[in-house]
Formats: sequence, C-alpha cells, structure tokens
Amino acid sequence: MAQYDLTYKIAPYLERHLVFPLLEFLQERNLYSDDQILKAKIELLAKTNMVDYAMDIHKSLYHTEDVPEAMVERRAEVVGKMKMLEEAAAPLINFLQNPALVQELQSDKQSNLQKLNERHQIGPNQIEALYQFAKFQFECGNYSGAADYLYQYRTLCTNSDRSLSALWGKLAAEILMQNWDVALEELNRLKEVIDSKNFSSPLSQLQNRTWLMHWSLFVYFNHENGRNAIIELFFQERYLNAIQTNAHHLLRYLAIAVIINKRRRNSLKDLVKVIQQEQYTYKDPITEFLECLFVNYDFEKAQQKLFECGEVIENDFFLGKQAQEGSFVTVPLRDEFLENARLFIFETYCRIHQCIDIRMLAEKLNMDYDDAERWIVNLIRNARLDAMIDSKMGTVIMGTQRSSVYEQIIESTKQLSIRSYMLANGVVAAAAATQGYNL
Amino acid sequence: MASRFWTQVGGGDSETEEEESDLEYEVQAGAKEGGQDVGNGSKYLRSDSDSEDSDDQKRVVRSAKDKRFDEMVHTVEQVKNSMKINDWVSIEENYDKLNKQLEKVFRVTESEVVPRVYIKALVMLEDFLAQALANKDAKKKMSPSNAKALNYMKQKLKKNNKQYEVEIEKFRENPESEVEEDKDSEMMDQSETESEAGYSDEEPDKIIGFSDSDAGDEEPEGGDGPWEKQKTRKEKIMDKQFAKDPSEISWEMVDKKVKEIIAARGRKGTDRAEQIEQLTYLLRVAKTPAQKLEVLMHVVSAQFDVNLSLNTHMPINVWKKSVQNVLSMLDILAQYPNIVLEDAMDPEMENESQKGADYDGPIHIWGNIVAFLERIDDEFFKSLQFIDPHTKDYVERLRDEPLFMVLAQNVQDYLERIGDMKAAARVALRRLEHVYYKPQAVYEAMRMQSRSVTTGENIDDGDSELDDEDRQMTKFSSDMKGPPAFVSVLEIVPRQPSFPELSRTLMDQLLSLIYRVGDERTKPRAMLCDIYYHAVSEEFHTARDLLLMSHLQDSVQHMDISTQILFNRAMAQLGLCAFRASLISEAHSCLSELYAGGRVKELLAQGVQQSRYYEKTPEQEKLERRRQMPFHMHINLELLEAVHLVSAMLLEVPNMAASALDPKKKVISKNFRRLIESSEKLAFIGPPENVRDHVMAATRALSRGDAEKAIEVIQSLDVWKLLPKKDHVLKMLKGKIQEEALRTYLFTYSPYYDALSLDQLIKMFTLSESQVHSIVSKMIVAEELHASWDQPTRCIVTHNVEPTRLQALAAQFAEKLTVLMDSNEKAYEAYTGGSLDGPPAGRRKESQDYASVTTGRWQGELSTAQGKQSSYSRYGSTGQRSLFNVGRTSQSRVGGTGGYKDLRSTQGNVRGGTTYSSTFQSTRYQDAYSSVGRTPYQSGSSVRGGQTDASGRMVSLTRSGRF
Repeated sequence: MAQYDLTYKIAPYLERHLVFPLLEFLQERNLYSDDQILKAKIELLAKTNMVDYAMDIHKSLYHTEDVPEAMVERRAEVVGKMKMLEEAAAPLINFLQNPALVQELQSDKQSNLQKLNERHQIGPNQIEALYQFAKFQFECGNYSGAADYLYQYRTLCTNSDRSLSALWGKLAAEILMQNWDVALEELNRLKEVIDSKNFSSPLSQLQNRTWLMHWSLFVYFNHENGRNAIIELFFQERYLNAIQTNAHHLLRYLAIAVIINKRRRNSLKDLVKVIQQEQYTYKDPITEFLECLFVNYDFEKAQQKLFECGEVIENDFFLGKQAQEGSFVTVPLRDEFLENARLFIFETYCRIHQCIDIRMLAEKLNMDYDDAERWIVNLIRNARLDAMIDSKMGTVIMGTQRSSVYEQIIESTKQLSIRSYMLANGVVAAAAATQGYNL
Repeated sequence: MASRFWTQVGGGDSETEEEESDLEYEVQAGAKEGGQDVGNGSKYLRSDSDSEDSDDQKRVVRSAKDKRFDEMVHTVEQVKNSMKINDWVSIEENYDKLNKQLEKVFRVTESEVVPRVYIKALVMLEDFLAQALANKDAKKKMSPSNAKALNYMKQKLKKNNKQYEVEIEKFRENPESEVEEDKDSEMMDQSETESEAGYSDEEPDKIIGFSDSDAGDEEPEGGDGPWEKQKTRKEKIMDKQFAKDPSEISWEMVDKKVKEIIAARGRKGTDRAEQIEQLTYLLRVAKTPAQKLEVLMHVVSAQFDVNLSLNTHMPINVWKKSVQNVLSMLDILAQYPNIVLEDAMDPEMENESQKGADYDGPIHIWGNIVAFLERIDDEFFKSLQFIDPHTKDYVERLRDEPLFMVLAQNVQDYLERIGDMKAAARVALRRLEHVYYKPQAVYEAMRMQSRSVTTGENIDDGDSELDDEDRQMTKFSSDMKGPPAFVSVLEIVPRQPSFPELSRTLMDQLLSLIYRVGDERTKPRAMLCDIYYHAVSEEFHTARDLLLMSHLQDSVQHMDISTQILFNRAMAQLGLCAFRASLISEAHSCLSELYAGGRVKELLAQGVQQSRYYEKTPEQEKLERRRQMPFHMHINLELLEAVHLVSAMLLEVPNMAASALDPKKKVISKNFRRLIESSEKLAFIGPPENVRDHVMAATRALSRGDAEKAIEVIQSLDVWKLLPKKDHVLKMLKGKIQEEALRTYLFTYSPYYDALSLDQLIKMFTLSESQVHSIVSKMIVAEELHASWDQPTRCIVTHNVEPTRLQALAAQFAEKLTVLMDSNEKAYEAYTGGSLDGPPAGRRKESQDYASVTTGRWQGELSTAQGKQSSYSRYGSTGQRSLFNVGRTSQSRVGGTGGYKDLRSTQGNVRGGTTYSSTFQSTRYQDAYSSVGRTPYQSGSSVRGGQTDASGRMVSLTRSGRF
C-alpha cells in the first residue's frame, strides 16, 4: 500500500513540526521499516531545537547510550541562545504578564506603540525580540508558549510580512496542541490575509494557498464541521486552481470529503470533471473509483477500487483516525466512506436499469441476499427510491420517471413570460428616461 | 587588321612587333601541347581553341548555357576566319547566325546582359568593315556577290550596332573592365571570362608580370581555373600596390586601402567579388589583431553583399567562407579579450585598431557579430527554401547545419562571456529553431553526422564531396598560399559542435537561458518551440499545459507573422500528438480551426495556395514565398488532413445520427459537414483515391453502422505509414471506430427496436462486453438513448418516447421562443449598455448555452463576450500557472478572438480576422483554451457533455418526495 502513501508529497508543504504526527502514524502502520522512519525523524529534528528529543531517537535508532558530539554541542548552543533571546524579550514579556497593564492597551495599534514606548521604554527592538523568542519557543517544542507570545506579538506588530509569519506560527502551534476550534479560527484568519493581501508575485500567493490547504487538512479532518468547510475551501476557484497546479494529491481528500458528505452531492459533478482533467498526473484508488463509476460506468471495476479505497483510507494519516468502540477498533471515516460509496454505486446502477436481479446486486454490494433485500426495502420505504420488488423473480423493478412532453414544454416556456415582462418594463423605463431627457 | 584589333584588346599602346611575335610563339607552343593543328590559322583561332581545349579538360559537365556560349564563340571564330580571306558572303551568313544564337543565349540565361563575346565580335566587324570600305581598290576587285554581301553587312551592322551602342563604347574604352563582373553569381559571366581568359591569357604578364618577378612563378600554380587565375592576377595588382614586400606595408596603408574599398562599396560598377578578394588580401597583411578583426568585419559584410536580391540566396561557397570568417573573428575576440565590439561607433575611436596586440586597454571596434550570425542563419534558411528538396544538393546543404550550430554556439559563448545576455538569448533562439522540430532520432543523426564530418582535419576539407572549387576557396581563405599572414590567430574557438546526447538536454539549456533573459519576442517563440518539441516527443499533456499556461493563443495575434506561423505549426503538431495519444476530440479541436478557412498551406507556410475567391498581389505572393518553411521542416499535409478528417468523422458521425431530427443541431466540424454534403451530391461514387475520398467512404460505412468496412477503408490509407507507431495508432483507430459505430447504430436504429440484446451488439461490433455496457450506460445516463438495461435478460429495453409531430413542433416552437427571448435581451443590453437586473443568475448561465449555439447566426461579440467572462474569472487574478508572463492575462481579455491567427489580417487584408475568427468554431476553441483552468477543450463537454451534466441529475435517492 506504500505506493498510495502521500506523506512524501505532503511533507514539503508542512512545517517540520507538523510532519511529526505523520511520521508517528506511519510508524504505527508499519508501512516502512522502523529504522527508515527514525532516520527521517532525526533528519527532521536536526534543524529544530528539540535536541533532547533528537537524542532520544538517536539512542533508540542505534541502540546506544552515546550521543554524538554535535548534538551535545547543539544543545548547549540552543540553551544559550534561548537565554539570550529571553533576556532581550524580557521587558515586553514582563509587561504582558501584568494583566492590569495589558488592560490599558486599546484597539489602536499606533497609540499603543506610542504608549509602550513612552511609559515602558519598549520599542520596536523589544517587539522584534518577542517574535524571535516566540519562534524559538516553537522550535523548541513549547507550542503553547509560542502560541501565546505570537498572539500578543500580533497585536503589536506593524510589519505585515511578519504578522503573516506570526499567523502561520500560531496556526502551527494550535494544530500541534490540537486546539481545533482555535486552529479553525486561525485558519480562516490566515485565509483572509492570503486572499486579500497583495503579494509580490502571484507565484508566492499560490504557494501560500497550497500551504494553507495542506495545513488545513489537520484541522478539517478533526474538527466536527470540517467536512463542509474543506469542500467549501477546496472548491473555491483559486484554491481549485492551486490544487490543479501544484498539489494534485489533495484531490484524494477532496474526493473523500465529497463522497461522505450527503449534502454536497452537486459538487460531485465538478469533482469528477477535475479528476478527469488531472488523471494523467494523479491517480489513486479513490479518484479511480469515481472515474469508474461516473465516467465509464464500469461497476465491476468500481467495486474492485472500492476495496482498495478502504485500505488507502486506513493508511492515511488524516483519514485513518481510529476510534475505540468497546473492544473494536474501527476507522469511522472508512466505514462512512464505504457506506456512501455503496450507495453511489447502487444509485447509478438504478439509473440505467429497469430491472435488477437482487442476488447480483447483493454480490455487488458485498451483502447477502436478505440483507440486500432489506436494504432496498428500507430505501423504498423511506421514499427515496421509486421501485418495486418482484419477490417471485427476485428482481427489483424500477419505476419510470420520465416527464411527459407537455411538462417539458411547460417547463421550458415557464420563464418566458416573466422574462418578456421584465424586458418590456426595461424598454418602457428606457423609453421614459429618454423622453424625460428630451423634454 | 588583326594586329590592329589585338592592339586594342591588349590595351598596351607601346607594344612592339617583337613582343607580339613573342606572344605568338608562346601561344603556338601551348597549342602544340594540346595536339592542335598549329600550322595555319591566326593567333586568335589558336589561342581560342586553346582555351576551349583547356576548358574541356577542366570541366566535363557543361550546362546548356555553356553550350550556347561555345556555339557563339565558334561562330565568332568563323567570322574571323572569313575576315582573313575577305569572304563577305560567309561573314554575312555567320553574322546572322550569331544574332540567332544571341537570342538563344538570352533565353537560356534569362537575362538581357549581352555577352561580351558578342560585343567583341561586333566591334571587330565594325572595324573590319570600316577598313574594307576604306580600301576602295580591294572593293573594286570583289566579286559581285561579295560586294553585295558587303553592302548588306554595312547596313545590317549599322542598324544592329545602334542597339548596343553603349556596350560597344564601353568595350572600346576598356576592353577588360567587365571581365570579372558577377563571376560568382552568374554562370554566364563565368563562361564569358573563360573564353576571355583564353585570349588574354598572358595579360597579367603584360600588365605586371614584367615588373614583378614573383608573379611568373605563381602563375602556373594558380593557373588551372579561371577563378584562381583571376585571383592571382588580383594579388599581383595588390602586390604591386603594396610594393611587393608585406613587411613594408604599414598600418596606415592598410587602413587607407580598407577605407578606399569600403567607400567604393555599393557604388555602381564596383566589382563585389573583387572587393572581397582585396579585403581578403588585406586580411593577411593587417598589422594588428584589431585591424584584422576590422577587416574581417568588412570581408563578411562584403560577402553578404555578393547577393543583393532578397529573393535569392547567397552562393553556398561564399556562405561557408563567411562562416569561417566569423569563426576567425571569434578566435581573435577570444585571444584578445580587450577588443570590444560596438554597434554605434564614435568617430573619435576611428584609429583604435592601431593599438597593437600588446595594448592593454579596451579596443573598440565597430561591428555586430549577432547581426552577422542572424544573417548567416537567414541565408541558410533561404538557400534551403530555394534548393529543390528532392535533389542531392538539398541534402548536401542540410549537412551544413552543424557548421552553423557550432558557429552559433561559439557566438553564444562569446556573448555570455562578455555578458550581453539579451543578444545571447537571441542567438539561443536561433539555435533552438534549428533543433525544436527534430525528433530524437533525427537529432541523433545530425549529431552523428557532425561528428563524422569533424573527424577530418578541417570541417570543409573533411567533406570529400565538396567540389574542388570550394576546397580551393577554403584553402585560399585559410592562408594556405601567398605570403603568410602578418597577424596569425590560433584557432581557439572549437570547430566541432558539441551536441548533448539528448536533444531535450540541449532544448532545456537553451530554453532556460531564453526564459531567463529573453525579450518579448524570443520568449513566446521559445515557448512555441518547446510546445512543438513536446508534441513531437509524444508529451501531449505537457505541451498542452504549456500552451494554456502561457496564454499564447490570446496574444499570438499581436505577434509577427513568422511567430504566428510557428504557433500554427505547434498547434498542428499538438493535434497530431493528441491523435497519436488517442485523444480524438482534443486532436480535432487543435486542428479544426486550421482547416476552417481552407488555407492550411498558407497558415503553415508550406506552399503557396491559390485562393478561388481572392487574388493575391505580386507583393503579397512574394512575401508569402519568403515565409515558406524549408522542406525538411514540413509537417506532412496529407497526414494532417487524414488526422483532422478522421477525428472529425469520429466525432461528427454519431453526432449527426443523434441529432438527425433535432432542430438545434450542434455542428462539431463545419468543414466536415461541407465535405459530406458535397459527397452526397455525387451521382456516382468512385473508388476512393485521396485522403478525403477515403474518409468519405468510411463515413458512409460508419453512418450505416458498418464498422468493419469503415475500418478497412481507413486502414488502407497510405499516410499512416508516416506515423512512428503505426500499429498502435491503427489499433486505437479500430477501437474508436467500433465504438463510434455502435453509438451511431444505437442512435439511428434504436427507435425501431423494443429491445436490443447485449450479446447481439457484442457480436456485431466485436467489442468486449464491458465496453458495450459502458458505452450504452453512458448514453443512457447522458439521455442520448432513451432506454434502460434489463439486467436478468441482458437486454436494452428502449422507451420509445418519440414525440408526435405536434409535440415535436411544439417543443421546437418553445425552443425558438427562448432563442428569440435571449436575443431580445441581448439587443436590449447592447442598446442600454447594462443588463437587466431581473433575471436570476442561474438563468443567465443557462442562456450562455443558447448563446454558443447561436453565435454562428448572431456573430455577436456580445454573446460570446458574456460567455467568456465566467471562464476568464476562473483563472481570475492569477495567471499563476503562466510560466513567463503573468501580465498577459489582462491582455488576453482584450484580444478576445480566434485562437488561430489569420495571417492576412495583419497585412491589412480584406478578409480580416474578425469575421473569420468570430465563427462558432473559433470562439468555442478560444473559449476553451482561454479558460485555462484546463477545462480546455470545451468540446469535451459539449460532445459528450451530457454525461457529466447528467450526473447531477442522478436518480437522487435523497430527494424528499416521490415524483
């Protein structure tokens, strides 16, 4: 299944720290050898300040108690730098830790800055130091501290580039702390900034959008309302473009979100179109499933792909969240997906048939005969399906659903009168206007 | 009499009788060697026969021209003989013959230049006549017939000579001035000088031979061809001027001489070839490297001057020489990096070249090496245009390409070295344009060939097939002979082209340079070359993405014609590539517009097409001829047509069957429809001959649902063998035809069936079960086929919902009303400038469908413009995918028409771009392409569009209530 693993594609678009959970997940799934993953982790950590953690991993990877010199040195360096930065940012931090003083701050940034400068001798240098300190905190793995500092930094910062970086930092921190509500807020804020901001080049804007989409996966697949939001975000024209341009693999998440979301059936059409366009660059069982079902109407193959889909979902960090239900371990998203996909197959099947053998259907849907019959009866009873069961023959007979010619004509002419009325009004208004003008 | 003539010809007034007899003796000796009859005849005869003799030895093959000249020379000889015996009857006869031959010569050479031989004869006759008339005694003694002939001649000559007064005058003044004129460009003149050379063989000796002892030694060396002979003579002139010893020549002398020669440049009567020779000589005696470079510049310019006409190409040997010269320029520039070439020249810098090789500071020299390179490239291109592609010459010429490539490469290296990146990009583009159309195999061949050529000592010498003349030329130019060059320059610049193994690597190198530093023209051109190359190497999607991202289809109409041709070529190639990749509708949308106007040849610059409705002015035709692609770059038109028609057939036949009764017929390919109509009109249908006939025959079979016949006819086309993967393509075609035949069959005959058996269909169209199932399902979902599967019995049960006549009419009526409504609204909008705020947005979208249907009728920019807005906004602010020019998006919105650019519209032609490009086809196409978000080929959705549309109208089990 490793061929469908997207970690290596997604990782370049993520923060170093955000890749950790992905690697942990992979370790659990045993798709790759442990050594490989541990090595990747060390590499990842090399550029962060989480030296202690790196040391631990090093030990478990090489089964020794020795730690390379470089790491020890780096540790000392990191600690030293931390001290230095802390000192530099100290005045501001002290100020911010005093709630009474913070209360005095108003919404106006400029006046705040002035006040700070006058009363507390806190100038731009200190504010910059706060940012650096927050960044350092983040790199050390102290996410909550970093999040707080960044939040405060943002209220004081005037540089728009810096404030954007701070936003990114905050979002990363919130994601890592799994504060999904806050993260969602940050995400939306960030999105606004990205869409509104005048970027130096469209290319960097595109890059930012791509990042945003990748980061949002963390949020959307964990937040309860995420499934709607992801469809909304990804289907926005600019973001869809970004997907088509440099992140084709995101189509998988979009496809899954669309399939499991019953209220978003109408986006399916667009999705299939996009998948078809991109099929020469990106393909995985999920997109292939949709293609089989809605482009080629190849039910057998769709069935086959569906089976593969299950495995892909299980092995995907974002999708394969496990839930404990008593002694069972299930992947709720997978079950939901399979259920919906099965429904899709059945719907499509009904569309082109007038008479279906229940036995065959049961086979296709991976159910036994009775279950299938029950399922269909339920569908019919719930008024979702215009069909009857011929129990003697063991078939489902679909009701015809053609509108008569009269209806068609009425449908097509219905609006004509309103439209001509509007037009007439418009003409009269225009005529009146010109007359008035002439007079 | 003869001696009198001789004195005139020889030009030496102080000749003594002795000298003459000396001369005679020499000539006789020469004639003896040749085994000629020595005893009788004058020295004219002898010397002339001598020349003829040597002529024969030298050149075995003689052209018609030469033959005529020889005849003429022969006749002149006869006249001379008759003059000796005073036989006026035969003089008269021969004179008439001469005039006839003159006409023939005119016909052969197609020029009005009177051969010198003729003029000479006239002069000779005139003089002789005057003498004869003066000699009253002799006249009296003449026989009556002879006297009569004399009188006739007197009259005729008087009359005739009037025509050539000027020439005769010129000849008399200076009997040898015109000897070498145009000897390069005109064979005629060459043969003339040959005959001339015969009798003025010893001239140089007379002129300078006595004063220059060296000359005597050199004479026999160089004496084996007229070319060499003249050259040596010139050298001698030069030597005389420069007082024999090169070391005595000073910088000033060279400079002065160069200025003198340059001043004469372009003046009437200046001998261009002679100029080159003089300059080449000066090259050898140039004092400083800078001066050498300067002279080289002038040599190359002079070489370009050899051929003044725009419509003919530079002689190939001259071309090669200039390549060598530019290469040695590069040598100098590489050896002395302090020499700087400048375009604009300060008058103060005039004497810069005086600074010697050891001078440290920068030396400024006038010149533009890029311009030279481009000219050389143009000349190469032109020569390929003019050489008949089916001859060996053409192949020979093509072999010179590596030579150009190495030059271009060196120039580019030089430019990069001095940091002139803009020019480097231009040169890179030139190189690119020699590579982009070559598939890897052809590229490989060029690479191997260039390697095998350069294993020889020298590029030219290694090529054994060059004629002797060329070889001598190159020898001459590479200082093999004569005094050694004063400034010797090592061959620093590599003479061997170094091609990377894969053409892609070369392309990438060049492209990245151009994208980085190129300008407005080079970038799009490079992009088009890239697209073309990708298409040739079967990378359709990459090529398509490049095209879409660059927005070239919008901006191309603002570019120059040659870029537009390149664009058309790229589109054609893209179409072929799509076809090979079995993307039929993509192939069709790429090609359909190319064929819409019926002017494929013109659009691709592959031959001049006569239009039935439109006369081209000679200027336009000339321009068009100048744009033509050389043969080896052609895209096979027959293959292109076959691909276009077959893909149109595959799309259009089922479409026609589907909408046979439909009032709002959607036409996919107008061009194809027209062909069908005309073939339907035929009373008798013969066996197919050309591509079109084949496709029409296949169409007839296909519309009957007879897949086998259609396949057979299509596969019998010869052009498929031009495809690299023929079998693969034919297999793909077979499959496609079977599928489309099934669809056509279902469209046409399903109304007459209650149920169709799946197994029957499988057997009929030899398709697999899953294929048939898939195709039928698609049709059902798309509501193209009113039927549904009956799964237990493996049948398709049709729901015959054919409306009654009344119902059909009512539906049609409703349809028309809607169209009317739409157009009313549009008219209103156009009138008021604003839109009705009333109709909800949803409906507006719907109206676009109608708009696209009716564009053909309304020709309205309005309707399409509206349709487009939405598609543009898709890409919105971004243009992010555009690799090189983001700002272009805004431009593209303005220039809203036609993907293919009408070449003529830029020429200010009557059939301008607007009508042409606002047809349904083009807007659709353009829409598709400009909507960039790679919903590119709208046809995809319009042809089979229903199917995707329909998936929205699913059975929808989630709907709340029953129907």
